[in-house]
Amino acid sequence: MKPLAEQDYYETLDVARSANLEDIERAYRLACDTYREDSLAGYPVFEVGDVELLRERIEIAYRILVDPETRRAYDHELSVQASEARAPVGTGAAPAAAGEIGELADARPAAHVLAPLDALDELEESEGEWTGARLRRARLRQGLELDDITKITKVNPTYLSFIEDERFDGLPAAVYVRGFVVGYAGCLGLDAKRVAASYLQRYEERKGGAKRRLFSRK
Amino acid sequence: MISGTREGPPSNGAPRLIPFGGGKGGVGKTFVAANLATTLAKAGHRVVAVDGDLEGANLHTALGVTRPRNSVAEYAAEREEDVRKLLEETPIANLRLISATRPNLANPQPSHALRVRFVRALRTLDADFVFIDLGAGADSTVMDYFMVCDDGVVVIAPEPTSVENAYAFMRAAFYRRLKLSMLSTDVRKVIALAMDERNERGIRTPLDLLREVKSLDTEEAHRFVEVMRAFRPRIIVNDVRTAEDIRLGFSVRSVCRKYFAIDAEYLGYVNHDAAARASVRARRPLVDSDPRSDAAVYLARIARKLIAPRIDSHMGATL
Repeated sequence: MKPLAEQDYYETLDVARSANLEDIERAYRLACDTYREDSLAGYPVFEVGDVELLRERIEIAYRILVDPETRRAYDHELSVQASEARAPVGTGAAPAAAGEIGELADARPAAHVLAPLDALDELEESEGEWTGARLRRARLRQGLELDDITKITKVNPTYLSFIEDERFDGLPAAVYVRGFVVGYAGCLGLDAKRVAASYLQRYEERKGGAKRRLFSRK
Repeated sequence: MISGTREGPPSNGAPRLIPFGGGKGGVGKTFVAANLATTLAKAGHRVVAVDGDLEGANLHTALGVTRPRNSVAEYAAEREEDVRKLLEETPIANLRLISATRPNLANPQPSHALRVRFVRALRTLDADFVFIDLGAGADSTVMDYFMVCDDGVVVIAPEPTSVENAYAFMRAAFYRRLKLSMLSTDVRKVIALAMDERNERGIRTPLDLLREVKSLDTEEAHRFVEVMRAFRPRIIVNDVRTAEDIRLGFSVRSVCRKYFAIDAEYLGYVNHDAAARASVRARRPLVDSDPRSDAAVYLARIARKLIAPRIDSHMGATL
């Protein structure tokens, strides 16, 4: 890790040199989120200063890296710098003693920033039933809020949260619920038909159960 | 669920010690630690859960042990020397507990020397994992336990107070680790100076400090860098409700890198779940009472990652 002023654009954005466009977009969104004025994660350290400078650098880094052409030019510049830095060391024996501390500190490149938590979810995918909670997990994993789903599906967010919480009493008839779930699952890139069938089964069972209880009480 | 294969613990028999801290009380450290311990135990790992909070012990309750017979307090008061005698069974198979009930309130904390001895003894326990649930705060009584490994767990709740304390906690842990690793008195003095946030020399971040150390002693500077690199706390965000809460973990990680030069890892998050509260009331770990609940699924996910061989971001190699 280096002081901000010495970080290259990849380090500033916290992406690997091999990052693709999607990685860069995601890292940029995260950085904007983290270093905006009212950020929960950021505000305790902003008084330390430099946040303006940091925002500026993030913006520049993003603009350079997001454009394939400027990125190529920048990569070239970096590789020239790297070979120049290597040259005077010669055969490069005793690296620890010879190297500058700054270099040493930076032997580890900017990490896989959004070290995907996703890999962990694959196991869950094989499980059968689609519950409301599972839908919510799938949504959160993709970083989507309920409002984002509403924007796309036009389904009222209250209904969406009822679907997640499995508050079946608050939901309309099955045919509508099916439509909502198909839309919701589609938003998440899931197999909408399969998800809806599984969810509706739960819905029918519970509703059916409630009805039976209602009758038996009479 | 976790697969039955054992991958985490070293095969030479010494257990892996994992402390759970985070600075602020009430963020769910005990809930998270108890449930992760239970998850691993149910997957066949031998786990010991240690309550490191002598002044607010409740790990036993979270694990469903009503009246612990033994306690760390006995060790603190030097009435019991053998740590193995403090162990007791819990309702969960493979999971044993060292509770911290009935402390001597006049003098609850064991001395530093005793804490060191205690940790050493924990390493000799016949187990795969030893979890240490720490109290709130970031003083030396807590930090000594957090220092048992470089990748202790920091539990955060998505609220400003918790985030603030988590930074303070990680910062304290980092500086303490540094100070312990340095040999030169002069360097130690500079570190002590830097630990005061309003120090006169304007040392604000570990990188500023590194510059100072470098000017004093190159050897020490190399050690400094090693410590900096090895220290990799792991973050869990508990009680998340929105996707924004989930992103908090990534943001904290970013701030740690940029402002503190600490390479934290985001281990995962636990969703807000009414079943969690119910399980606390029922004094049973959620993953045991309601393994299919939402939060239990998240906890199982984290447990898997917690014990997986760690992938170094640079080498791609395992530890």
